Amino acid sequence: MTEPFLVARNIAKRFGALTALANVDLEIRSGEVLALLGDNGAGKSTFIKILAGAHPPSGGELVIEGNPVAFHSPKDAAASGIATIFQELALSENLSIAENVFLGRELKRSILGIPFLKRKEMRQRVDGLLKELDAHISDPEAPVGSLSGGQRQAVAICRALNLNARLVIMDEPTAALAVAETRKVLALTRRLAARGCAVVLISHNISEVFEVADRIVVFRRGRKVAERLAADTDHEEVVSLITGAHPDVRALEKTN
Amino acid sequence: MNVVRQFGNGVFSMSGREWSLLVACLLAIVIFSVASPHYATSGNAATVLRNSVELLLIGLGMTLLLAMGGIDVSIGIVMGLAAIAIGRVLGAGGNPLLALIAGPLVGAVLGCVTAAVVVLGRVPAIVGTLGLLGVYRTAVFVLLGGQWLSGLPSSLTDLLATSVLGVPVPALVIAAAYLAVWLALRRTPYGLHLLAIGNSEEKARLSGIPVIKIRFMTFAISGVLTGIAATFYVATYRNVEMTIGSTLALDAIAAVILGGTSILGGRCSLIGTVLGVLLLRILQNGLLLIGVPSLWQPVVTGVLIIGVLGFEAVCNRLPLGRFQRARA
Repeated sequence: MTEPFLVARNIAKRFGALTALANVDLEIRSGEVLALLGDNGAGKSTFIKILAGAHPPSGGELVIEGNPVAFHSPKDAAASGIATIFQELALSENLSIAENVFLGRELKRSILGIPFLKRKEMRQRVDGLLKELDAHISDPEAPVGSLSGGQRQAVAICRALNLNARLVIMDEPTAALAVAETRKVLALTRRLAARGCAVVLISHNISEVFEVADRIVVFRRGRKVAERLAADTDHEEVVSLITGAHPDVRALEKTN
Repeated sequence: MNVVRQFGNGVFSMSGREWSLLVACLLAIVIFSVASPHYATSGNAATVLRNSVELLLIGLGMTLLLAMGGIDVSIGIVMGLAAIAIGRVLGAGGNPLLALIAGPLVGAVLGCVTAAVVVLGRVPAIVGTLGLLGVYRTAVFVLLGGQWLSGLPSSLTDLLATSVLGVPVPALVIAAAYLAVWLALRRTPYGLHLLAIGNSEEKARLSGIPVIKIRFMTFAISGVLTGIAATFYVATYRNVEMTIGSTLALDAIAAVILGGTSILGGRCSLIGTVLGVLLLRILQNGLLLIGVPSLWQPVVTGVLIIGVLGFEAVCNRLPLGRFQRARA
């Protein structure tokens, strides 16, 4: 087994008197798709917001490749190689694919002190990324507004890759997609992992999770209640873990 | 994939919108030529072009502002204040080179004031600049003391009413301004950031764009262009009247919208703005020559704005509208 990219130890998050997360221990490995499952309010979103630097944890620590880190903003997380693709993709529909992939971090050359875009280089790089991801988008010059939901996910993934992300967090990437599109995004997710990225996937669709995930972690009421290798479990067991019907979860909740 | 690019890539790339504007300009010229014997003369053509100089410069700035999701309804009076500054320098017998600097300088300062109110003060642009419009208009009255600045020395005129290699200086300055704005918009990170902000300020921020800096810069650039416009105004008329610039903002917004720039931001056409300015000035001049009193000019402008936006709204509801939105 490879050295984990990120280790979360004893992570807790309290909002006033409300405990949203408690005692979460988790390892995220490069080249692996880790699925986070759980009902609404189970703490998945809170957890990924901590990873993304959007919320500071109330307790515990994050360790990236052996070094403890503290994120004060999403920028800090990005600097550590963590990219988050939120459900409402932060893409500009009026700009092209290549422009979106580089937006905020354009390649430029200075002529008389004025920064000019290196449009050709940016286009070539995005062309390469799209080919590598087999995203079926032929023209990096096309405006993002003309793309389908799945293609937009691909652009957001390209953007993450272009930021040299080592960990890509995807928040319900297929929630709004048609069946064929969903297939493509799941394939993209696998390809990300094959490229050596760590992937954290949040989803409500259990069959989808079984299709792509290597490991499955179940959250319930702010705690991590189970961790399974996808190969060692099945649909039924995962559902019982999420709903709390599983004997392990019952035992755990009794002792707490 | 068969995707239509939303913008041409060249300096003068035109799409359907721009071609129809060009046709509208030519059509108006033909109609006015038939209707008035005074219309189709070289003198009148020169008048129309001459009347377009200030609006072209201000229109370029207004295009950037609207593309960013901003607006400036005080821009005409800003030109008035810059013109007063230039007039004062000239009237005091100042060096014409100093007068040349005064306009862009005052324009830049007032652009920064507008930016401070709208961007730093977080006041919506339409409301903030409306407030400034009231303040500036009174400032013009106070500065002029109820009297026109008139009979200004011709030193500035002598400098700008010349030609270089047969090309009039105003045409050269406008070409340079057009090229500079086009390069900034289509070839630098600034232009991408401006269009991203026009699409969605929140998404732009999430993408790591320095939103406040870009918005501030754009108001300042618009101010500088307005100051240059003021310089040509004073050089041409050699006086500054109390009502200076009172319809300029309306004209500029009309021309920019006619040109295909989205009032909601995120999409713009510089060549469209140029054609929009020309169409507006051709209409205003032609109507005057066929005997419509100049009092009616703002009505024409207003009806054009409402007509264009109404037409676009209807188009967006048609099945075709989905396609257009996708392009936007």
